[in-house]
Formats: sequence, C-alpha cells, structure tokens
Amino acid sequence: MALIIFGLVLLLYVVVGAFIARFVKNSDDFYTMGGRGSTLLIVGTLAATYLSAATLLGIAGVSYAEGPLVIATLGSFGAWIGTLLAVVYVGRKMKALNCKTMPDFFDKRFNNKWVSIIAILIMIVGLVGYGVIQFIGAGLVLSEITGINFKLLIVLFTVALIAFTAFGGMYGVVVTDTLMFFTMLAISVVIAPMIIGQAGFEQMKGLSETLPNFWTIGGTEDRSIGWSISQFLVWILFFTCMPAIVSRVFPAKNDFVILKTAIIGVFFAPFMQLTVFIAAGGMQVLKPNITPADNAMIVGFMEFTTPAVAGVGLAALMASIMSTASTLFVLVGFALSRDLYERLFEKELNEKQSLTAARIGQVIVAIVICAIAIAQPSAIYWISIYAGSIFAVGWLPTIVASFEWKKMNSKAASISMVAGVASFILFGELIKAGIMTLPTGIDELMLALLVSVATLIIAALVTKPNKYELNYYAEMKNTGMAKITIQEFLKQPDGLQKIKKQYKQIITISVLFTFISVVVWGYFFIKLGL
Amino acid sequence: MNIEVLILFLNATLVTVVSTIVVIAILRKQYLPVIRELEKKEEQEVKGEDENKNIKSNI
Repeated sequence: MALIIFGLVLLLYVVVGAFIARFVKNSDDFYTMGGRGSTLLIVGTLAATYLSAATLLGIAGVSYAEGPLVIATLGSFGAWIGTLLAVVYVGRKMKALNCKTMPDFFDKRFNNKWVSIIAILIMIVGLVGYGVIQFIGAGLVLSEITGINFKLLIVLFTVALIAFTAFGGMYGVVVTDTLMFFTMLAISVVIAPMIIGQAGFEQMKGLSETLPNFWTIGGTEDRSIGWSISQFLVWILFFTCMPAIVSRVFPAKNDFVILKTAIIGVFFAPFMQLTVFIAAGGMQVLKPNITPADNAMIVGFMEFTTPAVAGVGLAALMASIMSTASTLFVLVGFALSRDLYERLFEKELNEKQSLTAARIGQVIVAIVICAIAIAQPSAIYWISIYAGSIFAVGWLPTIVASFEWKKMNSKAASISMVAGVASFILFGELIKAGIMTLPTGIDELMLALLVSVATLIIAALVTKPNKYELNYYAEMKNTGMAKITIQEFLKQPDGLQKIKKQYKQIITISVLFTFISVVVWGYFFIKLGL
Repeated sequence: MNIEVLILFLNATLVTVVSTIVVIAILRKQYLPVIRELEKKEEQEVKGEDENKNIKSNI
C-alpha cells in the first residue's frame, strides 16, 4: 500500500505541476504567481511550509519521549509568534516595496553589491543547510516504510519537484502546497483525534505517574527553564525573517489577503502542530518504547488507524517533505537566477530569457540538492547546526533597522550580517570544544545576536547613509500595503463598497477564529489540565 | 489544575488573539480613516447632486 500511495502522490504533483505551467506566461508569474494569490492559496502555502517533516518526526518524537509540553510550550510558541511577525510585519512591508524575493529588499534598500552578495550567501547556506537535512532525514524514514532504495527515492522526489518548480515556479509551489495542506490537515483533524481517542485523556494524564514530569515544560529529562526560553528566542527570531515563511506573502493578491492570512494561517500553526504533539504523547500510552522516538507518529498511523487513514497519513508525511523541499528548491533557484544572475551581474534579459533563466536556475538547484542529499557530505551536517539560526543573527537586525532607522546604511548592514554569522559559528565551535562555557539559559544565538545588533548600531553611528539610502528610506516610509490596496480598489467600480465589504469580512474572520481557538484549546485544557 | 498545561493552551489561544488584535489595529489605523473620508466625500457628492437637481427643478 505504501508504494501505491507513494506513486500516486508523486504522480498527482507532476500532473498538477504540468497543468500549472500553462498559467506561467512571464517571470512575474514564475516568481510571485503574478500577484494573484487568493486567501485560500496563501493560507495553504503558509501552513504547508510551516508544517515540515521536523514537526511530524523530530518534535513529535520529543513529545513522545519527553512530553508534549517540552518544545510546544515555549519553542513552538516562539515559532507561531514569529510566523505572525513574518507575515504582518516583514512580509507585508517587503510586498509593499514590490520585492519578489527577500534579497530583492537588500538590493532595493542599499543598492550595494556587497550587501546583496552577503544576504544571498546567508540565504543559500541557511536554506540549503536547513532544508537538505530535513529532506535527508525524512527521506530515510520514508525509504524504510516504502522499502524503496533511499537514493532512488530522492531521485524520484527531485524529478517530481522539478515538474512543478521548474515549470510552475512559485505558482506551482503555491498550488501544490495548498493541496498538500489539505492532506496534512487530515493528520490534525482525523489521525491525531483517532490516536488521542484510543489512548484516552485520563490515561494520557496518568503518564505523569509512570514518567515523572511528562506533563511539565521541563519534561522527563527535566530540562531547565533557561533552555525553554532559549528555544523560544531561537524560533521567534528565526521564523520572523525565515525566507520560506516571509516569501509566502509576496504572491498575495492584496493587503486584505495578507491580513486574512495573518489570522487564519497563524491559527493553523498551533492547530496543526499541537494536535500532532498531543497525539505523539498519546502514543506513549498506546505503545511505549518506540525506537527511534521520531517514528512515533508513523507507528501511530500505521498501527492505530484504518489502512485507508494510514495511507492518508503516509501521503501527509510525503507532503510535508515535498512542501519543505519545494520551497527550498524554488527560493534557492530564485536566488541563483534573479538575485545573482539577473540583478547582481546586471544581465539585461527580455521576458522570455528571464523565464528561461529562472527555469534553468531551478533545474541546477534541484540537481545540486539531489546530489547533496544522496552523497550526504559531512559538511552538510556541520552547516545544518548553524543554518536554522543564521537568518536570526545575520538578517533580522539588518532588516528591522532597515525598516525603522534612518541612519541605517550599507556599511552597517554588511558589518552586522558578517559579525552576526561569524560570531555565531565561532561561539558555537568554542562551546563545542569546551573552551567557552555559558551560564544556563544563555546560548551562542543570544550572544551572536547581541554582537550583530551592537556592531550594527556602532557602524551606523560612525558612518553616514548615502543619498540613495536616505531617498529610499523616505520612499519606503511613504509606501504601505494599505495605501496600495486602497488605490487598487478605488480604480474598480464600487471600490469603496468593496473595501468596506473586505473590512467587515476580516472583522468577522477575526471573531470567528478567536472563538474557534478558545473552544479548541479550552477543550484540550479541560481534558488534560484540570 | 496543571499550570504548565494551562500555559501551553493559553499560548496557543494567545497567538490567535494577538494576530486578531494586530490585524484589527491595522484596519482601524490604516483603513477606517480612509473609509470615513471617502464616505464623507460620497455624501457630499450626493448632496451636491441633490442640490443641483433642486435648483434645476426650481428653474
């Protein structure tokens, strides 16, 4: 059955990708789906990108072994808030500035080659390091379940991914992500309740007796609160400027779509994660001693649901791998074709050439990532240790200062990005070698962030922004998504009525989702906390 | 009552509450004044048209 589902899922994505390619007429369609993203598509792609294989395997494994509160209470909470900031603050602002990729922003803001090169390098290393490791990890698990040779599985995945990234670009990724989102949602609304139902809330609560601290933030390993706070900081800072999340906003049709996504998409972040973590906790009742613990949810849907539901679970696991990998492929490909080749090398390309360059970029990235995943060089594991957090120490201070501070300039940006990333790696290596020790609750990320912010402030104070930077800052302050959207709506017949309708719709959505949230989490609290 | 479980679900609820507050604040700050201004303009235009009609009918 696993093989049939594997084949069907791959085929579905290839067919959808080939179909979507028809709609990609120019590079705008390829990079931002021509700014036609509806609320459903943007929420779908955001949620699908958010729920990675790490949630279903790694963090679910920790929830199973140590308790569901260990990462979810503060670490995941940081990621949820970070997602909100990425959508409503970073993404919305960059979208207003007509950025098609995140490095576009650095290019527009500073018009400086060095800043752009550093920003692009951080993005490529960060995304490849973060994404490839997930791709490898999840691929190994899936290879075990399906019995397909790991290398063949990666090649098949890559071919399927090329079908919709190279031909459909962001259009293909957004549409297939939305399809994947519904598959993944099945885990939260069907599989997790089935597992929790079989385990029983009372039995789950009773785990505290056999596994002391199972229902505490420290968990069975009795982790310190400093560790949990550090997790919160890592995830909030990482998610706020993570390209995979921020770039989801760029294809949005207008500001109303972004604002609706901020509510609905952000609601789905805890909804899709917490249900999985609680179910993973339930697996401790149903089947203790699963090794490795990362397989807890897979064992859950293979052994404690019906074969049809297990099939959906397997498809959802594949979807989580594919959505993470497709985002990685598409963003790194964009960095190659648009940010490096077109903008940095100042290639004057017509529409057709630009689209071809973008597609070639995707194929190159796919082949390189496929080769890395198959070869699994040890360097990739080293990079992955730092990859997830380099956006937080490298990009975040520069992005926030660029948005808000008039004195911000290219020198401060370059120094801050380099100092942040270099100090992060240096502190990490010194700690690993035992040369440097930090007090509990303080880690290398916090120190590196401090270095990045301090160097930024000092450099900005001792240098001056040039005329271009000052002009762009002023232009940026006068640009906003609300202004752009209002102007667009007023060009249409009955524009004001349409704006008022959207306004009321968003208020209704806000009330509705707040209500749903209170009911869902209130129910779980009554069952597990009282 | 398990306080730590309460914190977990409170955080999960808080995310939606915070996003709602942020979005409503954006709507009220960036959209509502424009909507009101445009409504006023529309009213004035309607009034102006009515007055024109009255003048024409009186003539």
